[in-house]
Amino acid sequence: MQVTTATSDALEKYLDLASDQMKLTAENMANIDTPGYKTQGFSFERELSQALDASASTQTAVDVASVDGLTSRPDGNNVSMDREGMQLAKAQLEFRAGIALLKSENSRVMNAIHADSK
Amino acid sequence: MNLFGVMDISASALQAERVRAEVVAANMANAETTRTADGGPYRRQHVVFQEAGGDGFAASLLGSGGSGSAGLGDADDAMLPAASRLASGMGSAAAPGGVEVAGVVADQSAPLERYDPQHPDAGPDGYVAYPDIEPLTEMVDLMGATRSYGMNATAVQAEKNMVMSSLEILK
Repeated sequence: MQVTTATSDALEKYLDLASDQMKLTAENMANIDTPGYKTQGFSFERELSQALDASASTQTAVDVASVDGLTSRPDGNNVSMDREGMQLAKAQLEFRAGIALLKSENSRVMNAIHADSK
Repeated sequence: MNLFGVMDISASALQAERVRAEVVAANMANAETTRTADGGPYRRQHVVFQEAGGDGFAASLLGSGGSGSAGLGDADDAMLPAASRLASGMGSAAAPGGVEVAGVVADQSAPLERYDPQHPDAGPDGYVAYPDIEPLTEMVDLMGATRSYGMNATAVQAEKNMVMSSLEILK
């Protein structure tokens, strides 16, 4: 018997990507004072559509690359505190949105299970 | 979805910034120190940051997990104040993708010479060697360390909130 739906599978992938985004942002923030470090990022939309298109069993790596368009300071570091702060807030909100949707999906399934007793 | 690993990354940054602040404190405390255990004046300490190793961040995202570099490089032991002993007590293997202190290095430039023949540490020419420490530089460095520490502490809060909100699925 399958209790997960297509929606909850998609949400799981969404949550995985949001937590990867969080991890990357944490790494960028941690290295804000490291000489020569370049900001790493990935395109959330592209990775999400790739993850949703791929079949359930394959796990493709997230494509992490250096972010363009950031100015470097004299020590070679190009991490922007403002950008990372925004990314942090966004990742947090994306994660919470995913959790809320997953909760409502689970309660729908639970309602279906309890339908007889109503 | 390994969220707890994220907190290790931010924790490594908190540790590294704390070491930086401690080194600044040691520099400011010893700004007028003319004699040390090895005889010369105190030398200004620099902290060197590097990205914690492993196979690179992309590999650690997949969960294959970098090995994490071993702790700190070794500067000349005779020159190091308490700050670097604290740094080496931090433990090895920082989280891959995080930051680690590569070493606390003594400044090799010439000390500041002041003429004071009455001073007990004066050389035969009457000059006393003082450390060349500029309070303004140290304060700006401390402000940078404080700002970075605050930012990474905010990241820890955000990560904590994410973990707690994921527990709400169970409710």
